[in-house]
Amino acid sequence: MEARPALSVQREGAHPLGNCGAHSSLPVLRASLEEKYPKFPEPVLSSLPSNSGSVGHLFSSSSEFSTNLHFSSVLPHEEHSASAPFIPQATNTEASVRLAASNQYVNENSEPWCIDPLSEYLDYSLNTPVNNTQLDCSNTGDCHIPPEDLSKQSDWPEWANLIMNDDDALSNWNEIMVDTGIVDAAEPKMQYQEQNQPSNIPAHQGQQLQQIPSASLETSGIVPASSTASGASSKQRMRWTPELHEAFVEAVNKLGGSERATPKGVLKLMKVEGLTIYHVKSHLQKYRTARYKPEASEGSEKKESSIGDLSSLDLKTGIEITEALRLQMEVQKQLHEQLEIQRNLQLRIEEQGRCLQMMFEKQCKSMPGIDASAQPTDAVQSSSNKNDPGVSLVDHHEAGDTTQKTVGEKQKEHGREDTSSSNSPPSKRAKVDE
Amino acid sequence: MKFGKRLKQQIQETLPGWGDKFLSYKELKKLVKLISSSCASRMMMNGSLEYGKAEAEFVYLLNNEIDKFNAFFMEQEEDFIIRHKELQQRIGRVIDTWGPNGSQPSEKDCKEELGKIRKDIVDFHGEMVLLINYSNINYTGLAKILKKYDKRTGGLLRSPYIQKVLQQPFFTTDLISKLVKECESTIDTVFPPSCDVISRQLVLGSEKIGAAGEGIFRNTVAALLTMQEIRKGSSTYGRFSLPPLSLPDQSDVIQSQLNSPIAIP
Repeated sequence: MEARPALSVQREGAHPLGNCGAHSSLPVLRASLEEKYPKFPEPVLSSLPSNSGSVGHLFSSSSEFSTNLHFSSVLPHEEHSASAPFIPQATNTEASVRLAASNQYVNENSEPWCIDPLSEYLDYSLNTPVNNTQLDCSNTGDCHIPPEDLSKQSDWPEWANLIMNDDDALSNWNEIMVDTGIVDAAEPKMQYQEQNQPSNIPAHQGQQLQQIPSASLETSGIVPASSTASGASSKQRMRWTPELHEAFVEAVNKLGGSERATPKGVLKLMKVEGLTIYHVKSHLQKYRTARYKPEASEGSEKKESSIGDLSSLDLKTGIEITEALRLQMEVQKQLHEQLEIQRNLQLRIEEQGRCLQMMFEKQCKSMPGIDASAQPTDAVQSSSNKNDPGVSLVDHHEAGDTTQKTVGEKQKEHGREDTSSSNSPPSKRAKVDE
Repeated sequence: MKFGKRLKQQIQETLPGWGDKFLSYKELKKLVKLISSSCASRMMMNGSLEYGKAEAEFVYLLNNEIDKFNAFFMEQEEDFIIRHKELQQRIGRVIDTWGPNGSQPSEKDCKEELGKIRKDIVDFHGEMVLLINYSNINYTGLAKILKKYDKRTGGLLRSPYIQKVLQQPFFTTDLISKLVKECESTIDTVFPPSCDVISRQLVLGSEKIGAAGEGIFRNTVAALLTMQEIRKGSSTYGRFSLPPLSLPDQSDVIQSQLNSPIAIP
């Protein structure tokens, strides 16, 4: 009953999400899913077989539903195209029957008995194929973009049903749960796809990947393949770079200036693959605003604040104005410098944490005697981590050397306060690794 | 608690239009509280299922936030790229008209145009730095909320999630940084060489600094102070925390000279 409104909510929701870059949510979701795996194996799996008759239950809880739909819609292209492999595993007729059945259930059901775990489970199972397929299909060149949002929605219950009843899916799923290298496998894939696009789009990290391996998209009837320049990709956010902008400006100038140039013409001239007319249109609009209304373009936000400035500044002498600007510049430079330092610190901290975690996992695998029930505890991580930042950070940062040294010492003190058990794994680790 | 307050202050001081683009730290914190309290009570009965659902919801909200950051950031970035080019062209035009090659219209016009360009460049530089600050603050907030989540629910969400965040467009600020540096070098060409001692005296002695400290300048100072406050020692100082910030001396001078109503204790 709530499924209908939930469906429409999702459709509206999908577009801004598409705009904002499923690329961001995609890796994020994978992370969350991988986190969830360890917690969800047995209880959910056991409840599956008994659930074949009540597929519709899954969709009567609107809030979880829209959440899960969000998950699934947020990984637009890769998820849906990657889910296709599951379709061959079940028959197509079965799929269509399920679709009808589930829609019926959707209308009639009000009280789910185990919706929550199931919807979660579906979420996982729908998303695992993403990882699986990417591992398999990273070598294909052909890429497709999945359907419009509407067809995504209609496919959702069908895929859900397929996965629910497919044992193969479960076994794949189990494999994936064990394999921790998925994240890394996914990343090279993204890079591969970037290279796949012509080099015209240099720093395209942020753009939603538009080209997806289609090796397993045999059932193109259910998941119609479309070209890269389809409507579905037009809503994605484009990350502009100075080089791209240069090309844009050149094209515009060739067409006679920003007023006379049309988006279509500019798009043709630029010949950048993956660029759509929507991107060009919005960029052209910004460009026009920037050229012909310089004050407005510098930020209507700024205008309010700078109006006050201007009147008071007029009274000052030229030198004072310049000096005030210089002061402003100084402060800004300082802030920038500090931000850079802070960002580098943050990156390094996370990286070291990650390295230690990997080391610990390797250790646990190689020495089954060690209690590997938990992820590396903070204590273990810290005892090595604390020593390193204190030393290495000092090497790499000009500013605040002394503060960081003292920080490193402080951290060492904390490390000593930990239980002695935390010291033994690192030393064992050292032995084994060498 | 402290970060939430700092964040709120920063949002208040920030450029108009940016306010609602920051992290909804408070809401996320409330959710974490909710999750931890509900999970604690129901954990025993339903096992990890409830917990999984709650975590999904939390991640859903986080993803939304990240989408928001990305969209805003990339839009601003695009604007900056355009403006950067425009500024360069303007400077080029000024150099052409009043430089050695071009004709020589009145010097007053030249000075006026140069003055405008200087102001625009400095403000442009400031806005870019504030965008980087925006990115950083949101990242810090995300890291904090994830840490809170892990702590209160015993989850293991933080580490992998942060790895993903590190690759998001809004956090990869390299391009903007590059533009900032280019801006700085451009400014050196546009500004007359200064004598530091004299300029400092002029600046420090002038009460009108306060008036000039509106908008971007003020926001920048607020950002620096906020950063300093956030990085002061805290009770939950740990391996993933940043060391305290040490700003060079002149910042103290700036602070004392500004009659700024920025109420940062």
